[in-house]
Amino acid sequence: MSARNLDPGLAADVPDTDDVGVANRRAARRSRALSLASFAAMLLFWTAITGSGLWKPVVDPVFLPSPLAVLQALQKLLNTGYQGKSLLHHFLISLMRFGLAFGFCIFVGVPIGLLMGMSANARALLDPPIETTRPIPKLALLPLFIIWFGIGELSKTIVIIAALFPLMSISAMQAVRSVSIRKIQAAESLGASRWTIFRRVVLPASLPGIFTGIRMSVGVGVTMLVGAEMVATSDGIAWMALSAADFIQTDIVLVGVLIMAAMGYTLDRLCRLIEARLVHWSGKD
Amino acid sequence: MSIAPIALDHADRRAAAKLVFDGVSKRFGRGPESVLAVQRADAYVGEGDFLCIVGPSGCGKSTLLNIVAGFETPTAGEVRLDGRLVDRPGAERGVVFQQGALFTWMTVLENVAFGPRARGVPAAEARDRAMAYLEMVGLKSFAKRYPYELSGGMQQRVGIARALANDPDVLLMDEPFAALDQQTRELLQEEIKRIWKRTRKTVLWITHSIEEALFLASHLVVMTARPGRLKAAYAVDFDSERDPNVTTSAGFTSAKREIVGLLREESIEAQRQEGVAT
Ligand SMILES: Nc1ncnc2c1ncn2[C@@H]1O[C@H](COP(=O)(O)OP(=O)(O)OP(=O)(O)O)[C@@H](O)[C@H]1O
Ligand SMILES: [Mg+2]
Repeated sequence: MSARNLDPGLAADVPDTDDVGVANRRAARRSRALSLASFAAMLLFWTAITGSGLWKPVVDPVFLPSPLAVLQALQKLLNTGYQGKSLLHHFLISLMRFGLAFGFCIFVGVPIGLLMGMSANARALLDPPIETTRPIPKLALLPLFIIWFGIGELSKTIVIIAALFPLMSISAMQAVRSVSIRKIQAAESLGASRWTIFRRVVLPASLPGIFTGIRMSVGVGVTMLVGAEMVATSDGIAWMALSAADFIQTDIVLVGVLIMAAMGYTLDRLCRLIEARLVHWSGKD
Repeated sequence: MSIAPIALDHADRRAAAKLVFDGVSKRFGRGPESVLAVQRADAYVGEGDFLCIVGPSGCGKSTLLNIVAGFETPTAGEVRLDGRLVDRPGAERGVVFQQGALFTWMTVLENVAFGPRARGVPAAEARDRAMAYLEMVGLKSFAKRYPYELSGGMQQRVGIARALANDPDVLLMDEPFAALDQQTRELLQEEIKRIWKRTRKTVLWITHSIEEALFLASHLVVMTARPGRLKAAYAVDFDSERDPNVTTSAGFTSAKREIVGLLREESIEAQRQEGVAT
């Protein structure tokens, strides 16, 4: 960089508009390399203390099987399933529980939050039920939901919804309320109707805030999934891990944990990807 | 070329008035903590006038402009445009803000076409109109860019084009060039003066720069320290087309001296108030 600044001849063959791009890419590459290194170090440590059959394990495999053993367990689960159902079935049922709740909150919770942001009346009406129930740990309501909605899918989906709904609706409301008044005034002065202002100013300006709520919901949602599969079920990835723990099948427990971690990570990445496409202008005002 | 004192609230001006300030006052808050921002402003602004407003910081200039824009309602008195009471924002009053009012998620072109589109002009026509105004402010080649890819001066020009593309009767500008450097400012001032001469819009223009005010205005108002009243008004006539060096002419310099003198009294008063307040 500094050499280029000193030497105009060198600077000429690099388009200077790319300066920032190059620097950014370099920084991104470095942070990716660092993440990878930290990940590799963890894996190495795990291998070292468990031996992986290469040397005598420091930790009893009953408590912590080696990475290789976990991989073998995954292989076995893929081949024969768990407790009579395929691994894919367990995965899909968990994904469905999560996805139903997540989707419901995006398509109902977010719009309700937007409405609360736009209208003081809607806020007065809907804020009390959301605010007063917010401090209740939603998992504690699961027994109640089971009495009300039975032991089927409904009570599980609802307990996840109960946790995600306030998260998404309140962040959407706050996003709307923090839209710059000046931009709204500008739109009003240009003769835009209330609906146009909502659609073309308030909604896009709120997107970054809405996405924050959605991304937080991914983490909370996966956690809630574990809680929801703790009782009254005989399938799902979290249930698999929990019931394997009863038999101290630590390798299967770890497979379950890793699948859920991968699920959370992938969903979060997906959200970031969509966000980056949709709100390229975020933070550039 | 010179300035001449004028009574903006003189009854003779009533007949040709586009914009009427009738005893406009604005108080923020209630009780002993309340602030009287504007006190009984009376003025007739003629169609095609370019009225510059100067005054010490905090004297109520923005408040007055926001009342005309319909963002604030006066606590006493009223503003009328073409005889109609102003009580909400409207497309006939275009506003250009100091900064930060562009729609960041839209391209420059979409920003400028927003007004016409919002009022039901077909897309193709709105586009053409937006392009014409972008050409006017010299930003045609930036139509597809986003505001954050533009410099401050360019963004300000987009804001002006956006307001003009909606063809308002009145343009309201609150320190539109305050964040710009001297050179950009002067270029844009000339551009604005050209546009104004061509379109003959009625303009209210707030500025802290006396030179800018004298250069642009057909009429100039000096406001008092808070509560803001209209302290003095002038008819202004400095034409750079007749004399390119008008801003260094003797008439300009003496006019500037006069306004500076008036403003200094008020600024001292404003600072004294702040000293009392804190
Ligand atoms: N929304 C508000 N609520 C309470 N007080 C306000 C509000 N807006 C303005 N004021 C007060 O009214 C007075 C006039 O403010 P205004 O913004 O009109 O001043 P100004 O002349 O535009 O100042 P500047 O030149 O610094 O922009 C100030 O004392 C300010 O504190
Ligand atoms: Mg102001």
